[in-house]
Amino acid sequence: MYDLILPTQIDLLHISAVILLIATFGIVVRRGFSDWLHAYRYQTIILSGIVALIALITGIWELYIVSALTLGIKAIIIPKVLFYVTKKLDSPIKLEMNPYVSLRISVIVSALLVAMSYFMALQLPISSDETISVFLPVSFSLFFIGLFIIISRRKALSQIVGLLTIENGLFLFAVVVTHGFSLIIEIGLMADILIGVVISSILLFRMSQTFDSIDIKNLESLRDD
Amino acid sequence: MSENLFILYVIFAFFSLGATLGLFTRGQKYHACFTYIPSAFASFLTIILSVIIFSSEGIHLTFFNIQHLFDFEIFIDGVAAFFLLIIGLISFAVSIYSLSYSKKFDDKKNNSALGMLFNVFIISMILVVISNNVFFFLVFWELMSLTSFFLVIYEHENKNNLKSGLTYLVMTHLGTGFIFASFILMYTQTGSFSFDSFRDVAVIPQYVKDIAFVLAFVGFGTKAGMVPLHTWLPKAHPSAPSNVSALMSAVMLKIAIYGIVRYLFDFNAIDSSPDYVWLGMGIVVIGSISALVGILYALVENDIKRALAFSSIENVGIIFIGLGLSVVFAAFHLLSLSVLAFIASMFHTLNHSIFKGLLFMTAGSIHYSTHTKNIEDLGGLIKKMPWTAMMFLIGSIAIIGLPPLNGFIGEWLTLQSLLAVFQIPSNILQVTLAFALLAFALTIGLAGATFVRLFGITFLSKSRSSKVVNAVEVPRLMLIGKAILASSCILLGILPFIGINLIVSAFDLPYTPSSPFETISITNTVDGNFASLLMPGVLIIFISVLVGIFAFVRIIGGKTKTTKHGTWDCGFGNLSEKTQYTATSLAEPIRRIFGIFYKPYNDIDADFYAKENLYLKKSIHVISTTRNIFDEKLYGKVISGSLFVLDKIRKIQSGKVNAYILYIMITLIALLIFVGFGTHE
Amino acid sequence: MSDFSMLEYGFGILQALLIIILSPLIVGIMRKIKAKSQKRIGSGILQPYYDIMKLLKKDEVVSDQSSWIFRATPWINFVTTASAAFFIPVFLVYSPFGVIGDILLVVGLFALGRFFMMLAGLDVASSFGGLGSSREMMISVLVEPALFMTIFVIALFYGGTNISTIVSSANDTSILVVPGILFALIAFFIIMMAETGKLPFDNPSTHLELTMIHEAMVLEYSGKSLALMEWSHAIKQMILFTLFVDIFFPWNFVEQISLVGISFGIIAFIVKVSALASFTAFIETRVAKWRLFRVSDLIAMAISSSMIGVIFFFL
Repeated sequence: MYDLILPTQIDLLHISAVILLIATFGIVVRRGFSDWLHAYRYQTIILSGIVALIALITGIWELYIVSALTLGIKAIIIPKVLFYVTKKLDSPIKLEMNPYVSLRISVIVSALLVAMSYFMALQLPISSDETISVFLPVSFSLFFIGLFIIISRRKALSQIVGLLTIENGLFLFAVVVTHGFSLIIEIGLMADILIGVVISSILLFRMSQTFDSIDIKNLESLRDD
Repeated sequence: MSENLFILYVIFAFFSLGATLGLFTRGQKYHACFTYIPSAFASFLTIILSVIIFSSEGIHLTFFNIQHLFDFEIFIDGVAAFFLLIIGLISFAVSIYSLSYSKKFDDKKNNSALGMLFNVFIISMILVVISNNVFFFLVFWELMSLTSFFLVIYEHENKNNLKSGLTYLVMTHLGTGFIFASFILMYTQTGSFSFDSFRDVAVIPQYVKDIAFVLAFVGFGTKAGMVPLHTWLPKAHPSAPSNVSALMSAVMLKIAIYGIVRYLFDFNAIDSSPDYVWLGMGIVVIGSISALVGILYALVENDIKRALAFSSIENVGIIFIGLGLSVVFAAFHLLSLSVLAFIASMFHTLNHSIFKGLLFMTAGSIHYSTHTKNIEDLGGLIKKMPWTAMMFLIGSIAIIGLPPLNGFIGEWLTLQSLLAVFQIPSNILQVTLAFALLAFALTIGLAGATFVRLFGITFLSKSRSSKVVNAVEVPRLMLIGKAILASSCILLGILPFIGINLIVSAFDLPYTPSSPFETISITNTVDGNFASLLMPGVLIIFISVLVGIFAFVRIIGGKTKTTKHGTWDCGFGNLSEKTQYTATSLAEPIRRIFGIFYKPYNDIDADFYAKENLYLKKSIHVISTTRNIFDEKLYGKVISGSLFVLDKIRKIQSGKVNAYILYIMITLIALLIFVGFGTHE
Repeated sequence: MSDFSMLEYGFGILQALLIIILSPLIVGIMRKIKAKSQKRIGSGILQPYYDIMKLLKKDEVVSDQSSWIFRATPWINFVTTASAAFFIPVFLVYSPFGVIGDILLVVGLFALGRFFMMLAGLDVASSFGGLGSSREMMISVLVEPALFMTIFVIALFYGGTNISTIVSSANDTSILVVPGILFALIAFFIIMMAETGKLPFDNPSTHLELTMIHEAMVLEYSGKSLALMEWSHAIKQMILFTLFVDIFFPWNFVEQISLVGISFGIIAFIVKVSALASFTAFIETRVAKWRLFRVSDLIAMAISSSMIGVIFFFL
């Protein structure tokens, strides 16, 4: 089936992978809320493009629909929701002040994580399929970078962004390895994410109202003492 | 064999019947009857079952399979039958006792639970003894521990009972953990959960068996109450209702001994080679220490049930001494001596169950009549409760080890085993065992003092408080329960061959008993008679002397009058109950001598009429306490150390989401790398 | 049990009766010696017999606080000590009843008597009785280990706890020169003094409660009961003396029944025991009653002495 892969398509795959990674780094290096959301949007757009590309290569038409859905929900609606919430918040707290890991080091760590993902992917005995070999390490990187964002940031919004990044990584992994779940599942996943984001944003809002800040250290005290 | 099985089913059925009836017939008039008569009947059947097993071959069968791993196997051989006999006898007596005793709890809301738990407790003990499979053994062991836990905290209105119960729960699970580890170790070697495979000698390498035995010994020892894992015992046994305390002290401790005996002799943990000397010596040393510590604390204890609980620790120590000696002798191929020591140990096991059950039931009767357990409040009960006093007297004489009752035989046998250590070809061991003999002798003396004190202060002399005024004799059924065990004491004392034959046939020992009036005799190396004992003969001498002196006195003295008068009071008159000796003062000289152990604390606070004249005192206030060094030094240190370490570990749980996710990420990466490297090779 | 002929059983009973009947005589001898050494004339040697006879004929007064234990104790005490006498060889080298019991049984019987005596002391609800019981408890707790260690040594050296075995092997061999036995001797002597209530442990003729142990327990007794208690005490003392003599100075024992041998044996027995009694009385006059807690040191010395004997055996 894959005899039709032309060299140009492979290059396209590689290029899209690289752009995806750069977009992800965009989340990592930025300080401001709106920067993250923009970066996330770009990431998702590229992701949907990749899905469409895979659809083109493999000829599974369901993937087109998936790509469209990704575009619609994840690239448009979710950022809109999050923007709406952040508008309601007070401006002084819209920047990530001092994360646990400083920004420069975050970049280095992210690069390390990408390298590690590639290394791990090499270990896996996946053979010939080109799409998989290109995108598998990318999906791992996305996953780990998202995890890293959650760990190293203080603000609740960044945690949400990290979660979304993880989800993107997993989505890519699923699409690449299985060439799309059945459509129903994809729709379900999207809906799930959407609801999740809506709920998180509501909570974010309440948090800011209760604590006057969205620093998660307020959530830390386990006992009354 | 099918009849044996039938009896087993009937036993099980009756206990279940008792349990369910107990649960559902709360508040009815014959509630006690519904609960305890089935259990009494079932206990009696247990005795019959064990006697049948003694005379025929045992039961060994498998019931059902779960996944081919967990078969419900039962295996009733002589060993199990012996312990079934103990369970049956004591449960029988205690059930009859409970028929009246449980009336004490009639006004409590949950006395249905008492009956149900009682029945379940006994049946779980029976099931532990007959289980042949690790899984079911542990299930029933756990059931036994849990039911006893609930019974311990039955009177939970008293907060101390709750604390004791929790201590008991923690310690028993600690023990169960060790037992579990031991069984798992055996499982990894044999690949099967059945005890039958554990018995297969060749399969398991010896050092594994050693480690497994040590683990099991610690586990079972915790349950049996060996020092230093004993502190739960004096807290838990007194907190439970007295019929349950009797069961726990008399029977449950023996189930732990059963576990050790199984491991030692059935799973062939030991062998006839000198490597096992250290094992036997360890058991002897622990036994001696337990015996001494137990009785030293029992001596100064004013709560009658706590004193009895400490005494149980002492007796378990004596049983361990016998067991350890048996192992040591076997290691040197002195097989007949090994048999002797083992018989001594098992005889003492049987004895202790009987007289400890009796003593606890009596303590329960005292509590029933006077509502107090503190002997400093009692006194003069022998006039109010003559039969109970008689039972306690018999129990005391038995537990001290005085002739002609059964305790004497057990101690005689143990002493003979200790005296025989000169045949061991190692000087160091001989001297060590001489010290063990010293400790044992000290224990015997102290036990005598303890029970003189307990019996004397409780029953004799004048009553020390108003609590005794209204005491009456307890209902007849309670007396019958006690009488059953008391007569067993007397019977086993006068005709010890019954006990010895039981043990010999149960454990298949190479010793041929013969006629009922066989003397127990030991021959020494020059074929003379080392020692021998014939209790019926002693009895005959007693009677003839009694007749002789009675006749003599009557002939010489003629008939004389006896008048009653007040106790001689040196002319002071007005003897009150305060001028007689108290329990504390009775034990005070011994407390002083052993001050290193007790660390007694005396505080005397005197109040004077006038500062100028220090001879006229208005009042004196004395506080006199002993400290429990085990609680303070051993447990206190362990607990504070653990808390310290745990405090440090608590920092991991910081409450930060970031930290938790970090843990996840690290774990994930580590796993991936690990797996990655694995598959790459 | 049927190893012995009826004649031998008869002599066995005679041995026991000798102990029982001669015990007050020994008490009398000791009192005489003590009196003489204090430059008194003292009562006659046969006085204890007269005392017992007199007491047997008197009425009793019993405390109204006491119970049946008080009444039963003198009988129990007498039965136990007199039964113990059956197991002790006196002039024969064995006791035909040795099959029935050994020295551990004798110790057990003494303990039984002592148990009831302690209870009787508590029974009368007076401070005297409690005092006596408390002190007796303390001393017995300490004496038991010493006694068992000494028995251990003796059993090791002489091959058994059956008294007949001990005495016959002691008779055969003169092991007195072995240092282990000497240590056992010292220990046994101290124990004997403690068990029979001699100075420095207890003053048998005191009237001060400060120094009473045994006396305090029997304070309330009168009439027949008192006679029995005193007699039992004398029998116990006699048994211990006899054992001491049998084990450590076993000369002139008769191995077979012959009239000459037996009479000679009886005379030898009386001579030896009287000598021991005199010696003991003499020692008593040299010491005063010790403070109660010093007594424990003395018994500790007995324990260590027997331990050394044990170690000597094993070396």
